[in-house]
Amino acid sequence: MSHLFNHNGAENTGYSQPAPLSSDAMPAVPKGLVRKAAARWPRLSEPEMVRHYTWLSKRNFGIDTGFYPLGSCTMKHNPRVNEVIAQLPGIADIHPHQPEHHLQGLLSIFYEMQHMLEVCAGMDQVTLQPVAGAQGEFTAVRCIQEYFRLRGEEQRTKVIVPDSAHGTNPASAAMSGFEIVEIPSLEDGRMDLEALAAVADETTAAMMITNPNTLGLFEADIKAASEIVHQAGGQMYYDGANFNAILGITSPGLMGFDAVHFNLHKTFSQPHGGGGPGSGPIGVKSHLAPFLPGPLAARRDPTPGELAVAVDEHWYHWEQPEHSIGKVQQWHGNAGAVIRCWAYYRRYGSGLKTMSEHAVLNANYLRHAIHREAKKAGVDHLFVDGAETDVAKHEFTLSMQPAKEALGVSAMDVAKGLLDRGYMAPTVYFPLVVPECMMIEPTETESKDTLDTFAEHFAQVLRTEPEALHEAPITTPVRRVDEVYAARNLCLRHPYDDA
Amino acid sequence: MVDQLPNRGREAEMLQEMGLQSMEDLFSDIPENVRFKGELPLPPPQSEEEILSDARRLLGSNTAMGSRPSFLGAGLYRNYVPASVFQLVTRGEFLTAYTPYQPEVSQGMLQAMWEFQTLVSELVGMPIANLSLYDGSTAAAEALTCAVRVHNRKASQPDTVYVSALTPPDKLSVMQNYCQGAEINIRFLAHNDDGTLDLEALKAAAGSCGVYLEQPNPLGVLDEGLTAVKEIIGSNTALIVGVQPVSLGVVEAPGHYGADIVVGEGQPLGSPVTGGGPLYGIFACTKPYLRLMPGRIVGRSIDVDGKEAYCLTLSTREQHIRRHRATSNICTNETLIALMGAMHMALLGPDGLRDLANRNMMACQKAKEVLAKTPGVRVVHDAHHFNEFAIEVQGSATECLAYLDNNGIIGGLDLGRWYEDTTNQILVTATDQTTLREIEALSAQLAMWSSHSGVNA
Repeated sequence: MSHLFNHNGAENTGYSQPAPLSSDAMPAVPKGLVRKAAARWPRLSEPEMVRHYTWLSKRNFGIDTGFYPLGSCTMKHNPRVNEVIAQLPGIADIHPHQPEHHLQGLLSIFYEMQHMLEVCAGMDQVTLQPVAGAQGEFTAVRCIQEYFRLRGEEQRTKVIVPDSAHGTNPASAAMSGFEIVEIPSLEDGRMDLEALAAVADETTAAMMITNPNTLGLFEADIKAASEIVHQAGGQMYYDGANFNAILGITSPGLMGFDAVHFNLHKTFSQPHGGGGPGSGPIGVKSHLAPFLPGPLAARRDPTPGELAVAVDEHWYHWEQPEHSIGKVQQWHGNAGAVIRCWAYYRRYGSGLKTMSEHAVLNANYLRHAIHREAKKAGVDHLFVDGAETDVAKHEFTLSMQPAKEALGVSAMDVAKGLLDRGYMAPTVYFPLVVPECMMIEPTETESKDTLDTFAEHFAQVLRTEPEALHEAPITTPVRRVDEVYAARNLCLRHPYDDA
Repeated sequence: MVDQLPNRGREAEMLQEMGLQSMEDLFSDIPENVRFKGELPLPPPQSEEEILSDARRLLGSNTAMGSRPSFLGAGLYRNYVPASVFQLVTRGEFLTAYTPYQPEVSQGMLQAMWEFQTLVSELVGMPIANLSLYDGSTAAAEALTCAVRVHNRKASQPDTVYVSALTPPDKLSVMQNYCQGAEINIRFLAHNDDGTLDLEALKAAAGSCGVYLEQPNPLGVLDEGLTAVKEIIGSNTALIVGVQPVSLGVVEAPGHYGADIVVGEGQPLGSPVTGGGPLYGIFACTKPYLRLMPGRIVGRSIDVDGKEAYCLTLSTREQHIRRHRATSNICTNETLIALMGAMHMALLGPDGLRDLANRNMMACQKAKEVLAKTPGVRVVHDAHHFNEFAIEVQGSATECLAYLDNNGIIGGLDLGRWYEDTTNQILVTATDQTTLREIEALSAQLAMWSSHSGVNA
């Protein structure tokens, strides 16, 4: 084990700094504010620091390490040139409050990204300010709330979500002050139009739904659902977590949605970074556009003076929406993430459809290969599809319920068995509507060979003795971690000697 | 495009094995009436070289702050992030990992975040820190809603919080958006003419759910009066302090003068300014807030063999478990930027942080000294400053900044942007990256401006 806090060399600091500027009077902290005891930070030289974090990195699994079929998370390859671009001084060393003529390049990229997302989503206006998917949801729901306030429809206090929705949907709506109405899914995992019609009324502000849904199924009735909600006077909100399945094929706009968020860290390859940063722009139809957080990137013809600084035939500038809800992040959102995703989008351009086609091809192929290999290995009776369907979209679910009943092997056991074979585990126990659920999303950046081999390993895991599987993983840096112990014996920081 | 898709050219083979004829069959479940017709109206795909070349051209047209004397800060601070931080953070095992839901193969990031929690906890003098919120503004906003959750039942002013009247409006706007859903009223705390908090007026905040103040305050003033706040507002009102983390190398940690929650913009430790994001929000608190706090937190535990191991803990507060009753909707946070912060902190060590804080103090002091002697310029607050201070200039601040810009200097923040009736004040920021030459250039140009505007002090 390498422990940061075991490093305590007396003289060491990891990098030497230039001398401070000299001044006639030594600056002083007010007497009562002088720090008395320094933070008990470690002391380590650069070589020690580099070795510590390299050691930690080797105990972590990323897409670069191996196949990462984590459903709902779209763990696709992150092209490396994007990292090079994000470190250029024209993004790393700019301040959001610099005047517009200092930021024409940034503004033009923002404008291009807004436009691209508008085109892909069938929306009229996009803002890039929200910094994560959940914040995008919150932002859009706030816009819908203000829209109804301005129309004098303040009785619209409810937001409808299917029981299979991502947890952020109800959490974001509740944060805005809405009451949540959850509707059950049908047996086959699809949305229940009758249940929707039964709850949609004059108190409905919005319905939040993802399509393809969290089971990886396309909701063919989505237009009918939009009509029901619109008929009741409510708004349709599209959770873009599963956008990777449909680019260039269909769009939330075509399905009748009024607002949508994008997870740039899913669909557009902003690296997940072990939990962030992300970026969660939202797009809306024109009636919601005046409520968006500002400022937005806009453009006009340049004046003769501006032409000298312009990056193309337009002059880019910030614009404040008329009834803006204000800000959800203090600056312009995660500009660095937007730049990476711009570089990613440029690789595909008009060919984004091919990206989605391959994502769906890979998901369906993997589903097929898993069934094929399970059959060969005689373990196909140990799981069933999470939902009946001819084709899945970018992800699919399996229920390990039969294995649980026959052998006492849970979805978690299978997940841990896969870790031993060098894979990240699929998402487990979500969506909740599928018992012993495994949710698998291969993404478009995995080869057929990887998918075939994974399918073989999946079947092998199911052939493992249940007792052995309960013990898995055994090859990982640590074995099953006791989460109950962690919660009961809270140790949230290095205890030093005072614990 | 082709270089990202390993199965280009193998589509037919894969489809055939599934018993499908064409890619179109994969989308047979999508009704005609919601289909796109034709190609997406977007430009054709580009190669890596073309993208890089366009990026260099477009981003190269932006004016990087480092390319000229720059005194713009106001919440984001130019710094130097050591090379090793960039080298390490782009290791694929960190960069391309998801949230550590499978702890057995995520020990690296989990331990790094547990160490981050410790570094932050020590820095701000609080027992608990989470592993980051989005930025300083959302951390402040979440602190307010957290304070209401904890104190509302006993508060004599329920659903009410007080924030410094100096709070920048963009940050305030984030607070208002986060607070409106829970119907929380935000009231304001006045400041004295010297920039310090009006402790007499503060008495009105006693019995509310929380008080939000910054140290240094938004105008760079280090305010000793904050050490008296907790006693005035009492134990049933949360004292929330927003910090510039580098300052804590020399300035007392808020945890040592009664803060219940400490938040802040983590950027100066570990991250370049990056156009305002991604950044990371610091959130630290005392024990009574733990179970109602927002965000992810890592705990040290053991594995089945009794070996030291780390995992996410107290998840029952979070959206994926608690759904609409969660303490926050946050899911994706800023882990990788927090990791950069941890690396920077680890390299600095306690002495390095003190030295870095001193460099910031000295640069600010020097700038103040030089500008105080510059004709036509008045330093607004006779106070102790960290990083920045307000100056009054001749005529309009907006025009003065435009003049400076024409002469190759980013002069600072037009305080009219923050405070409605302020027309002639600029917030001037100096950091460890500021040089004497730059300060002298600013002074010389301000002197020119003063003489141009016809009034000479």
